[in-house]
Amino acid sequence: MTEPVLKVEELSCGFNTEDGYVRVVERLSFDIDAGKTLGLVGESGCGKTVTALAIMGLLPKPSGHIEGGTVFFRGNVLSNTSAPNLKEVRGRNISMIFQEPMTALNPVHPIGKQLVEAIDLYEPEIHQTDQRIRALELLTKVGIPEPAQRLKEYPHQLSGGMRQRVLISIAIAGNPDLLVADEPTTALDVTVQAQILELLRNLQTNYGMAMIFITHDLGVVAEICDEVLVMYAGRTAERANVTKLFEVPRHPYSQGLMASIPRLDAPCKVPLPAIEGIVPALGNLPSGCSFSNRCLYSDNKCKKENPPLMDAGSGHQVACHHWQSLG
Amino acid sequence: MKIPILEVRELRRYFPVRTGVFLKKSGDVRAVDGVSLKVHRGETVGLVGESGCGKSTVGKTILNLLKPTSGQVIFEGKDLSTIGRAQWRLLRRKIQIIFQDPMESLNSRHTVGEILEEPFIIHKLGSPMQRRAWAQELLKKVGLNASSIGRFPHEFSGGQRQRIGIARAIALQPKLIVCDEAVSALDVSVQAQIINLLLELQRKMELSLLFIAHDLSVVRHLSDRVAVMYLGQIVEEASSDEIYQNPTHPYTRALIAAIPVPSPKNTRDRAILEGDVPSPINPPSGCRFHTRCAYSRPDCQRKIPKMEEVKGNHHVSCLRWRELLHL
Repeated sequence: MTEPVLKVEELSCGFNTEDGYVRVVERLSFDIDAGKTLGLVGESGCGKTVTALAIMGLLPKPSGHIEGGTVFFRGNVLSNTSAPNLKEVRGRNISMIFQEPMTALNPVHPIGKQLVEAIDLYEPEIHQTDQRIRALELLTKVGIPEPAQRLKEYPHQLSGGMRQRVLISIAIAGNPDLLVADEPTTALDVTVQAQILELLRNLQTNYGMAMIFITHDLGVVAEICDEVLVMYAGRTAERANVTKLFEVPRHPYSQGLMASIPRLDAPCKVPLPAIEGIVPALGNLPSGCSFSNRCLYSDNKCKKENPPLMDAGSGHQVACHHWQSLG
Repeated sequence: MKIPILEVRELRRYFPVRTGVFLKKSGDVRAVDGVSLKVHRGETVGLVGESGCGKSTVGKTILNLLKPTSGQVIFEGKDLSTIGRAQWRLLRRKIQIIFQDPMESLNSRHTVGEILEEPFIIHKLGSPMQRRAWAQELLKKVGLNASSIGRFPHEFSGGQRQRIGIARAIALQPKLIVCDEAVSALDVSVQAQIINLLLELQRKMELSLLFIAHDLSVVRHLSDRVAVMYLGQIVEEASSDEIYQNPTHPYTRALIAAIPVPSPKNTRDRAILEGDVPSPINPPSGCRFHTRCAYSRPDCQRKIPKMEEVKGNHHVSCLRWRELLHL
């Protein structure tokens, strides 16, 4: 067995707020192998982005902090409460792309300058003209037409899809082992989303990058992920191989999520089996299982005890007291 | 032949582009360029397309929030461009709109009660006591607690705020509601709840809906008929089942192919649409889609395709649709 690129053990983090400490991610564990994609799925506020930021050491200071747990990168401790070697790794070995490329790029600098800045950081020894050639190479790699012209342009002159491509090119400038993609296609049109997903898939096969793909769209998960972690209110609800998850979703939340997507091949104008109620506020989770107040199958046990992550066979894990009886 | 409740004929809406020191008009953004569509009583028509295709402008022009450059909007047999202010006031009760972001469309300094009573005050209906009772009834109709009448919009979740937006839209018993990306900002589980609510209200109140969105699977689920827009024009229109089973326009096909399907075993071959949507300031000559179309021929650059009937109620505007049927 090869060592996973990234291993997260019992990661918990949260924020200090006016109303006291709010835990946003609770005892999250997962690992990712080289060349694989792990999907972090859940609705807004379930802690998927905070997990990514915690891994990158980018939790907003001073309110946010890692409460416990360890992140290992290639077997080395990357971040626990103190993280000395994070700077070394971040960007070069692990890099990140964000949802809104317009806010992630600097609007007052041309694309080229921003790309060269990244190249200069990873390969300070190479000459300026070579840096430009590297930048051109990178833009070509991410499928930007007329790259020489684009280098001189500013972010606002590019379309959303092109901006995301530029952001990806900056992210892969250091040939990272792991790319953390936080909803990279959510702000894009479906046709452009398809282009970006294709690009990420190709980059992954060519360079063997591992990827954490954060999204709320189960369709995108099915397209790009190998493993999936379904999060609900900061906790793992279910973890499985992507085929398994879609064939036999075990957790009532995953089942509900899948049933509530309108499908193209389903009959129209019929009510969707929606999950009733709303996601609880993180500071005010129900006792026991955090999904218990919306779950069709919850009973007294669910309201008292928080279910541990249980093994449902062949790497499939589920945090539900009743998974066996749900079929 | 039934008379449609809403008929839009050759609607055009241009926005001037001004450049230079004297802001001389240098061209037009042809946001909507010759759109015709009909909505019948109790029917939902979906209008789908990528960002910038002009779908929201169609919605706003129907409500006269934007004045049409040319073309007609006919509601219940009356041409809306010829009627005066007083008549508009009466008509406004019958046509309502729901926006994407309820946080922006609800006044944050007003309580839910004030927000819901406002339509009655504007139209001078009822006494203060009655209006309060009506507001409470509206809240119940959209699945909210009548006691939340004194709360402010920020105290609600996104889905609940959208319910308030819907309650306000149905306050005056409208005949037609334009839903402009009404569920796009919501999480999947909440989106399903709102879709169900719209379906239920439509059945109970015999509402006609014009449902504008970028997500074809959501649009299809809610609609009886779907119109696909590209660069200010409708390129295909058909029943919801037909548009998915027999998409005829290459753009519709590409749009369907680009939607990620929540099933990892899906082996659909996908033709990914290249490039971005061209600028509506200088739309491509001939068929506007020819720059991105996989089937375009030299002819497509010159001839402007007309809407042709594929079969009853299925119309497409493509020069080569007959040949493409067998591909």
